[in-house]
Amino acid sequence: MAIIEISKLKKSFGSLDVLKQITFDVNKNDVVAVIGPSGSGKSTMLRSLVHLETIEGGSISVDGDYLVKDGVYPKQQDIKQITSKMGMVFQHFNLFPHLTVKENLEVAPRLLKRESLAVISKRSDELLEKIGLANFSNTHPAKLSGGQKQRVAIARALMLNPEILLFDEPTSALDPELTGEVLQVMKDLAEEHMTMIVVTHEMGFAKEVANRVVFMDNGEIVESGSPTEFFENPQFDRTKAFLRRNLK
Amino acid sequence: MTWDYFISILIPMLEGSKMTILLFLIAIVLSIPLGFLLTLAVKSSFKTLSWLAQIYIYVMRGTPLLLQLLIICFGLPMIPGIGQYLVLDRFVAACLGFVLNYAAYFAEIFRGGLLAIDKGQYEAAKVLGLNKWQTMTRIVVPQMFRIALPSLANESVTLVKDTALLYAVAVPELLHFAQTAVNRDFTIMPFFVAGAIYLVMTLLLTLFFKWIERRYTFE
Repeated sequence: MAIIEISKLKKSFGSLDVLKQITFDVNKNDVVAVIGPSGSGKSTMLRSLVHLETIEGGSISVDGDYLVKDGVYPKQQDIKQITSKMGMVFQHFNLFPHLTVKENLEVAPRLLKRESLAVISKRSDELLEKIGLANFSNTHPAKLSGGQKQRVAIARALMLNPEILLFDEPTSALDPELTGEVLQVMKDLAEEHMTMIVVTHEMGFAKEVANRVVFMDNGEIVESGSPTEFFENPQFDRTKAFLRRNLK
Repeated sequence: MTWDYFISILIPMLEGSKMTILLFLIAIVLSIPLGFLLTLAVKSSFKTLSWLAQIYIYVMRGTPLLLQLLIICFGLPMIPGIGQYLVLDRFVAACLGFVLNYAAYFAEIFRGGLLAIDKGQYEAAKVLGLNKWQTMTRIVVPQMFRIALPSLANESVTLVKDTALLYAVAVPELLHFAQTAVNRDFTIMPFFVAGAIYLVMTLLLTLFFKWIERRYTFE
């Protein structure tokens, strides 16, 4: 059952077409790894799902509701309602530096006022426990390592109980020795059947954790399939060339 | 110089310092919020408002504060027709001048603070479902203030010293009493006393800002 349906997505920056008729579905509990060279449009595609980018043509539906239909967006309130089903983790974490770790987790749920403070506080404690940072709840982000920051960012996204979690190159800003702890948290989420779309350069993660790999190049999806099909038997020359460059 | 003489010049100067401090407090308390509103006006998507705010800032920063004070105190009453309604108390006129002038400087400081905030902060807030007001009040303004603090401290010290411009519009303040004593007693001692009082005021202010900076260090 498709939870996200993307069809014929189009966007350009000036004369450059960054997305050319992107079409693909994400099923519930899927872990989709989106890979491809820089500038291939994969981040733009991901960001358009939470309306950080406005697209010019095509449709996106989430859980059966249209975030955008044939390039036309509904009213602000509906957009907010639909995008609230998704959480996002950024390459550069984007934690709020003036708030402590626990405050970072709680600021949004507190302001959205859907739950009591006690419920919010209990969940933030549980999530910090889960990502192994329970001792850091009163620390400011500046004191954390990159890997710790990204784990906090994941917990912050989970505070709103999203149905789908989007990751925009979550390990690209990290020192190589710190990527492991972040990938482990993502792996745990995958095992709990969280639906995830992960734009990544981590071929290892795509191979081991994803159940589907989408390869984008030059604003289009060149090829997609199960990790086994994709890595062992790529169909297209562009895919083969990309894999040769990146799997050494 | 006797101790008695020292006390006899110190007392009126401390009396005058009250005016200096009062002007400083009024100016800072009013010009900081006004400066922030100006920053918002400059950043506004309503172009006319943005242009007006930019012109205002340009004029206020591009002309001497002394000239602005002279215009408010002595120029406004000379406007034909409405001038008679614009005769302000000297001190009130000076406060007005300082607030209007310093708001422009503070606006530029805040604008710098806003520019320093990464766009990722806005994106994270948006994805977390915060509306524009919540993003501004909970995420952007606290960070902007922290970034602006050293510049705010610097500008505030300048403001303390600029209060001496009251002398030019004949409001009796610290420097006025020093000058009076110098003329009367033919000694430059009162100038040094005045200097020392300014130093004490700027020292206290600097310590105050250092304390705030430490308190709002997010590490």
